[in-house]
Amino acid sequence: MRTRMALMYSLLWRLLLILVHVNRALFSWLHVRIQSWKGRLWERAATVLLLPISLVGFPDFQNNLNHGPDANVKPITEKRTGGGRSRCLSDGKFLKKIPVHIGLLVAEEEPSYPDIANVVVWCMAVGISYVSVYDNHGVFQKNNSRLLEEIKRQQQDLLGVDGSMHSVEFLSGGSDQHQHNVVSCRPTVRVLSPDDGKQSIVHVAQQLCRSVENKERSFKDINVSMLDLLLRESKNIPDPELVVKFGPVNSTLGFLPWHIRLTEFISLPSHRNVSYEDLLGALQRYGACQQRLGQ
Amino acid sequence: MSWIKEGELSLLEKISANILKAGPMPKHVAFIMDGNRRFARKKNMERQEGHMQGFNKLAETLRWCKHLNIPEVTVYAFSIENFKRTEDEVDGLMELARQKFERLLEEQCFVNVCFAYTSRYEITNAVREMAWGVEQGLIKGSDVSEALLSECLYSNNSPNPDLLIRTSGEVRLSDFLLWQTSHSCLVFQSVLWPEYSFWNLCEAILQYQLNHKSIQKARDLHREHQALQQLEADRACVAELLQHHSNGKPADSQRRQEALLHYTACREERVRDFLEALKHKRDSFFSDLCSESLLA
Repeated sequence: MRTRMALMYSLLWRLLLILVHVNRALFSWLHVRIQSWKGRLWERAATVLLLPISLVGFPDFQNNLNHGPDANVKPITEKRTGGGRSRCLSDGKFLKKIPVHIGLLVAEEEPSYPDIANVVVWCMAVGISYVSVYDNHGVFQKNNSRLLEEIKRQQQDLLGVDGSMHSVEFLSGGSDQHQHNVVSCRPTVRVLSPDDGKQSIVHVAQQLCRSVENKERSFKDINVSMLDLLLRESKNIPDPELVVKFGPVNSTLGFLPWHIRLTEFISLPSHRNVSYEDLLGALQRYGACQQRLGQ
Repeated sequence: MSWIKEGELSLLEKISANILKAGPMPKHVAFIMDGNRRFARKKNMERQEGHMQGFNKLAETLRWCKHLNIPEVTVYAFSIENFKRTEDEVDGLMELARQKFERLLEEQCFVNVCFAYTSRYEITNAVREMAWGVEQGLIKGSDVSEALLSECLYSNNSPNPDLLIRTSGEVRLSDFLLWQTSHSCLVFQSVLWPEYSFWNLCEAILQYQLNHKSIQKARDLHREHQALQQLEADRACVAELLQHHSNGKPADSQRRQEALLHYTACREERVRDFLEALKHKRDSFFSDLCSESLLA
C-alpha cells in the first residue's frame, strides 16, 4: 500500500513538473506574440487566461506584464540604425536611475556572442559606464577576443561610422593592467569568471596571512575595510548596483559574492534574441527599486 | 508547550506536501523575513504589532518545514544596519527576540538565527581566524583555501543553504550569507512576510526542484575546479620545497609524486589541528560568556 502511495505521489510530482514546463512554454510563446502584436488587449487577455494557473517559475514575466513597456519608449524595430545612439541616450534620460555597474549574468549553456554583444552595446549607449559579462563556465573569459570583436561589430552597426570614435576599455582576467584610482571616462567592459569571486577573496586572505607570517601585521588588524581595499587593489571592480540574469537558473552561480551585497537582481528568460525593450524594461524595474539600507 | 505550534496540515496541504516530497527536497532553507513594517502600515497597526505577526509567522513556517522534513532553517532576524532604526523600535525588537528565542531553545530542529549579522563581517572574521592560526603557528599562509575559509565561518557546522527565500518583493541579498549562497537557489517572492502562506513555501520549493539539476551541475563543476586549484597549489609548494632541498638538481617524477602525497597529508593534518583549536577557542568563548551572564 505504501509503495503504491509513493508511486502515485511520484507520478503526480512528475505531472506537476510537466504542467509547469508547459506553462512556461506557453508564456514564452505569448511573450513573443505580445511583442509582435503590441496590443494592450492581448496583454490583458494573456493575464486573464493564465493567472488562474500558478505563475510558478515565471514571476518576473508577470511583473513585466503588469508594468508594461513604457509609453515613451519607441521600440527599435530595426536594430541597425544610424540614429540609434541618440535614441538610446534619450531613453537613458527617461530612466529614473541608471546603475554605474551592470552585471550581465548568463546562466545558460552555449552563449550567443552577437546577442550578448548587443546587450553590452545597448547598456553603454544608454549611459552605463561599467558593464561586466559573466558565466559560470568561464567561457566568455576563454573567448574574450571573440566577444570583443562582436562588441566592436555591434557598436559600428548601432552607432554607424562614428562608432569607432566611441572607444571602450575592455578588461578580462587577471589583475587590472591599469590601476585606476580615478574613474575612467571611457565606458568599461569587463569579462568575469568564477575566479573573480571566491578565489579572489581567498587570494586576499592568503596575502594577509603571508603578511602575518612575515610579522608585518597582526591578525587583530584585519577588518572589513582592509579586505575591501585589498580586493579593489587587485581587481578594481565596483559593486554592481544591478545584475541582469539571463536564463532559467535561479542562482548567482558564484558571481562576485563579496560585491553583490546590495545588488538588485532582475531576471530575463534568455539572452538569445533578447531585444532592446527587454533590457529597457529591466532598467525601468531597477529604477523603481527602493533601498532602505537597514532603516 | 511547544512554541512551534503542533497543529497538523490540512488534507490538501498534506497531499501537496507528499507530492513535493516525491522530488528532491532542500535540506537547508534560509529566509530573509522582510515586510513586517509594510504589513503593519497596510493594516494600520503599530510597527511592533507587525514584528509580532512576523514572529508568529516564523513559528508557523518552522512547523511547515518540520512537516516537509526540512531539517535546517536559517533566518535573517536583524542586521547590523538595522540598528539605524529608532531606539524604540530597536528596543522593542530586542525584547521580542529575547522572549521568542528563549522558547525556541526547547525545540529539536536546527534553527539558525542571524542576529546583528552582515556577511562581509562574517567573511572578514573567517579570514581573521585563519590569520590567527598563522600567528599561532598552526597553519601556513599557503594553507589558506576556499574550503578552509568556509570552515572558519560561523555557519561551518551547517551545509550551505539549498534555497534562499526573500519576501516582500525586494530582489537583493542585503549582506546575508553572500559566501554560502553562491550556488543556492534564490527565490524572491512579493508576499509580505507576515502574510506568508504554506502555498508560498510550496511555490519556493517547486522552484528549487525545477532548478535542482542545473544548480547541482554548477556546484559539481565548482567543486572540481576547487579540487584542481588545491592540487595546483600543493604542486607549486612541493616544487618550491624540492628545489630548496635538492640544490638545483631536478627531482624525478616518482619523487615528486611521493613528495606531493606527503605534503598533502601534512597540510590536511595541520588544517585538522587548526580547526580543532578554533573550535576549542569558540567553545571557551561561549562558555565564558555564559558564566559571565550567570554571575551578572
